[in-house]
Amino acid sequence: MSMSSKRKAIDIAYQAITYIASSISLLALSMIVYFVWTNGSGLLNIDLLTKDYHAQYFNGELQEDYTYSTTARPSDLDDSIYYSERYGIGLADGKDREGNPIILVEYLAPDSPMLSLADKNSEEIISVEEDMLVSKVSFFDKATALRSFGAENMINELNEVDEFREIVYTSLGGGIRGSIITTLYLIGMTMVLALPIGVFTAIYLNEFAKKNRLTSTLRTLIDTLTGVPSIIYGLMGLAVFVPFTISTTPATSGNLISGSLTLAVILLPVIIKSTEESLKVVPDGLRQASLALGANETQTTFKVVLPSSIPGILTASLLGIGRVIGESAALIFAIGTAVKDDISIFGKSTSLAVHIWSMMTDEPANIELSSTIAIIILMIVLFLNVSVKLLSKKFMKPLQ
Amino acid sequence: MDKLVFDIKNLDLYYGKFQALKNINLTIEKNKVTALIGPSGCGKSTFLRVLNRMNDLIEECKIIGDVHFHQENIYKERFDVIDLRTRVGMVFQKPNPFPMSIYDNVAYGPRCQGIKDKAKLDEIVDNALKSAALYDEVSDRMKESAMDLSGGQQQRLCIARAIAMEPEVILMDEPTSALDPIATLKIEELINDLKEQYTIVIVTHSMQQAARISDQTAFFLMGELIESDQTDKIFTQPKHKETEDYITGRFG
Repeated sequence: MSMSSKRKAIDIAYQAITYIASSISLLALSMIVYFVWTNGSGLLNIDLLTKDYHAQYFNGELQEDYTYSTTARPSDLDDSIYYSERYGIGLADGKDREGNPIILVEYLAPDSPMLSLADKNSEEIISVEEDMLVSKVSFFDKATALRSFGAENMINELNEVDEFREIVYTSLGGGIRGSIITTLYLIGMTMVLALPIGVFTAIYLNEFAKKNRLTSTLRTLIDTLTGVPSIIYGLMGLAVFVPFTISTTPATSGNLISGSLTLAVILLPVIIKSTEESLKVVPDGLRQASLALGANETQTTFKVVLPSSIPGILTASLLGIGRVIGESAALIFAIGTAVKDDISIFGKSTSLAVHIWSMMTDEPANIELSSTIAIIILMIVLFLNVSVKLLSKKFMKPLQ
Repeated sequence: MDKLVFDIKNLDLYYGKFQALKNINLTIEKNKVTALIGPSGCGKSTFLRVLNRMNDLIEECKIIGDVHFHQENIYKERFDVIDLRTRVGMVFQKPNPFPMSIYDNVAYGPRCQGIKDKAKLDEIVDNALKSAALYDEVSDRMKESAMDLSGGQQQRLCIARAIAMEPEVILMDEPTSALDPIATLKIEELINDLKEQYTIVIVTHSMQQAARISDQTAFFLMGELIESDQTDKIFTQPKHKETEDYITGRFG
């Protein structure tokens, strides 16, 4: 009796350990999601994904035949909007995607002289719309009204003068379109480089290589490379691929090609390992059946073994893409950290993960935008996961 | 002389240092079913794989002696193994269709030999499936995955796949051991039909099966060929005591 009750107690203890361990894992994982979501969901909108990071500026001045507005302040205008009757414009304070103060055009009267301005740079006409940002207004004989002084100050200064030198409009910057495009480029170029090489290496190792010292050395090397910190690959990228691409392409600095080459080297061991795993689980019976039908080794490998391991290769690709999205340390060296809007494969730019790094190394660190990018990265990874699952379901038939 | 398909003389086979087959002498006749029987580990499957050189896949496997296939030693240097395997087909213990469609499974062998003509392939596939008594069951779903077939159907598909190569000999390694009795019966009937056209060598654990379907029986024990003769003689008047003990179920 005491034996059985003792055993029962031990059983309960073991089970309790598994429960506690899984609760801790669940808690840790959900905390990441919770942290990222509560910090970053506020900024998440489609504009962030589609707009440029760097603001564009328009320097406008009043046209020669301008007339003042005569529209009185509309009664339905919100109290937070400061209105200038003379210029027929209503401005309000706001914050941009990075939390800096901005001044927004909230209202334009139909007879406002501000509706269309002469562009000082190009002699063209700028048409001003609501929701544009005013960066500053400069005058002929007094200090400039900057956006950091607020909307009220700007309206007061405007009301005091008959005319002004220029008003600078900007677009709202801080979008991550460029970094998203860079990330997609990196995924595409890296996979094109690493997937075929990795898959064929795995095929060689698993199907054709004789069991000798050379192949076992190669295997050990691959295993070791899987564990090398990515910053070391980054150093290699900087020391080898950046100079290589500068000398062979129009690039003048770290660029998307050097980044992709570096990432491809990081991915190779990952892809080789997981492809080899999937080749290993292809039943030997299939190889024998093929050989017994008079197929040679090459036909057997490419017509039977490889198609059977497609789900595994898909998984390898997913792991690879996940690594590309998540990699930051190596890319800081191999591409650089400059956030760009016009993406060229020969130019600098930065991936989403490095974009986070840039935001976090700003002073002060921009946790909010970083968390928003983190949400986007998580969503991309989730999307990839689901699509690879669906794809392998489509391809996969039970082997035996 | 032409009646002899295989003529095996003084065959020794080693896995590393272990001798799996000892001084085997056996002939296999055309259009007969030869059954190889014996307890597990006696070397009968190993012997079967000698005949289409599937043992080549095992490293450290060494073969001494002569295996003549139509008077040609298949273990001589520069012998064309691929050609041998197109002429000596094989069906395995566990049904092992490729994870592709029924049609592609049967067309696999001919395609590997470079046949691309669709009409020709269609004809080969249809005929092979008919010979394997599977055509009626699958003719309306040739494009479906072979993995969706039942175990017995899969094994007949594997036979059809071997037949599609138009071999002279079909080696069968316990082809019914993974099947239920009804599927087994169908395969046995099929073997009976096939022997008109093909020479069949079958490894089996079931002595009843050997008695039912084979013309010749060879009894292996501990890597040695104890006795081989016409099946009815082996089962009624075995010359050796070991054979009698085995077929009467005293060991094995």
